[in-house]
Amino acid sequence: MKLSGKVVFQDLEMGVWTIEGDDGQVYQLAGHDRALERAGKRVEVEGDVKEDGVSFSMAGPMLSVKRFRFL
Amino acid sequence: MTRISSCASKWGLVGLVALALVGCRSAKQGASSEIVPSKVYPHEIVVDFQDGTTLAQIQSWETKWGVDLRFNSVEGPVDGVAIARLGPETTVADVDAALEAIRANPHVQAAEPLYSEHEDAFIPNDPDFSKQWNLKMIHMPAAWDRSKGKGVVVAVIDTGIAYENYGRFHRVPDLAGAHFAPGYDFVNDTQHPDDDQGHGTHVAGTIAQATNNRIGVAGIAPLATLMPVKVLNAQGMGNSADIADAIRWAADHGAKVINLSLGGGMYSSVMANAVKYANKKGVTVVAAAGNTGRGKVEYPAAYPSVIAVGAVGPNGKKAQYSSWGEALDLVAPGGDKSQGPEGGILQNTIDGRDPSRSVFAAYQGTSMAAPHVAGVAALLYAAGAKSPAQVEQALYQGVHRIGGTAWSAQYGHGLLDAEGALHALHPSRFPSAFSPLLWGLLLLGLTLLTVRGRQRPTYFNVLFRPGFLVTLLLSTVGVFFAHWITGFWHGSISMLDLPALPIPDWGGWLFGRGAVSPLFYSALIPVLLSFIAVPWKALRPVAAGLAIGFGGFLGYAAWAHAPALSYLPFSFMATPWLVVNTLVCLFLARAMLRVEKAV
Repeated sequence: MKLSGKVVFQDLEMGVWTIEGDDGQVYQLAGHDRALERAGKRVEVEGDVKEDGVSFSMAGPMLSVKRFRFL
Repeated sequence: MTRISSCASKWGLVGLVALALVGCRSAKQGASSEIVPSKVYPHEIVVDFQDGTTLAQIQSWETKWGVDLRFNSVEGPVDGVAIARLGPETTVADVDAALEAIRANPHVQAAEPLYSEHEDAFIPNDPDFSKQWNLKMIHMPAAWDRSKGKGVVVAVIDTGIAYENYGRFHRVPDLAGAHFAPGYDFVNDTQHPDDDQGHGTHVAGTIAQATNNRIGVAGIAPLATLMPVKVLNAQGMGNSADIADAIRWAADHGAKVINLSLGGGMYSSVMANAVKYANKKGVTVVAAAGNTGRGKVEYPAAYPSVIAVGAVGPNGKKAQYSSWGEALDLVAPGGDKSQGPEGGILQNTIDGRDPSRSVFAAYQGTSMAAPHVAGVAALLYAAGAKSPAQVEQALYQGVHRIGGTAWSAQYGHGLLDAEGALHALHPSRFPSAFSPLLWGLLLLGLTLLTVRGRQRPTYFNVLFRPGFLVTLLLSTVGVFFAHWITGFWHGSISMLDLPALPIPDWGGWLFGRGAVSPLFYSALIPVLLSFIAVPWKALRPVAAGLAIGFGGFLGYAAWAHAPALSYLPFSFMATPWLVVNTLVCLFLARAMLRVEKAV
């Protein structure tokens, strides 16, 4: 799925990187490329949402990013 | 009646009333011992500011007095009670000087060193205990007087725990002295569930950090046994198969409490069945509600057999990140660092970047809130709870209610209160078990005094009628000594347990889970029996015993602790309900006791 939004770091639990999607949903990044970690930057990503994902961050659906580019 | 016996009767009544009053007073005193301040928190002063003093004003005086000032609790902005904390190097002279400076401020109504509530309160010597606002918020020092969770196995199903020196892993210093049971690593399939991330160790610290060991901080159930179970990898992620297996494994290997500070949005029947299995085996399962901030609780917290825990910050308000909704059961301190790192939950853990390095870190999240409940569950089991149902009933009855309601989607039943839960576990402890009986006798005396002379039966005629006496006892104290024969009553009450409970508490058998039913805590049963007793006069002493017994029980309940009755929309309705029903019982008793005019 394709998604555009803003990269946000939440000081939650051990710290979690998320994307605040333009669709209003907050996605938790799962196993992401460190290059994505630019807090506040707008980004367009292509990836899969792991519906049955479980983690200790519990910040939102887990998004596994395949490709991305900053806007 | 002859003059002599009517005189004796009158004095007999006065005697009854006096006896009951004395009995009630000593019972109340027995329940809460006099406050003898024998223990002082070494570096803390309680300051009572004038009502309405603002946080901004209070913080402006901090530097001037050289103290750290904050409101004691959620009531602070209303009642002005705050705690002034001095540094760890403070001497008695420093405290005196601070007291003098504080008292000189016109906004201060009173200031004194902070005393502990109970005679031999356990105040741990852990140097950073004063930073643990979360433990004070749930009334830990008082709870430690009653239980420290001795021997209860709590499984921490997480990223593992830094519990042993093994290869590159080291036990963190503030877990030296904590008790461990063998666990399992489901991620790597080994018998060494060491923590390579830091989350699990932090969660374990809240449950059972080594306490009173002059190192670091304290934990809630320091004498409990931690069972490390690793299902989350170094990135904090796991799958439902491993977690379901881990839940079953922990239940099969002696865990009494399982803490799941993890979650996801999707329902999994594999996991749902695993928690059901654990629950049936007598395990209390606790899980974090989620950190989405939205109105949907994550799984596994949302499964019916799991206690879903949301988070509050130091001000007692729901944390912005904390998930909420229909499945939420209660809230506990989870941290709120929006005003600074001291708003987080402080425990000893490992550095995520270097697992061999120990750190003291303050985190926030519902993952931090859940282990507070797991820790208190361990305290409850050590104090005699026999089942998850009993644990839950004590937890929900003992909460600090928020906003006067019995339940809300943001706070569940309310804010965790460790002392309240332990108190709610054994509400009918001697001598308070006899208070309903004493109240009953008091009401009997009052009732007879309101009946006009000639219609008043002699107290002999009433009190020693077997029908009256037996139902009076059954309604107020039950066959109380049956406890000692059959052992403690179980979370799900069987028919055999019934006679040991006073009749109003039989509602727990019918409605399950120790529910306090408003139907049973009312005049309904005496009313029904008295309808039958109108034509069948022989039943009148029995009906009278029931009415007096219920009246005494309900009156005492209203006066002593007015439990939150289930199904009533507001907890404040409990007391008026009980009072009204007590009066109905009185009226009934009067009708049943009146000696009818000889034809």
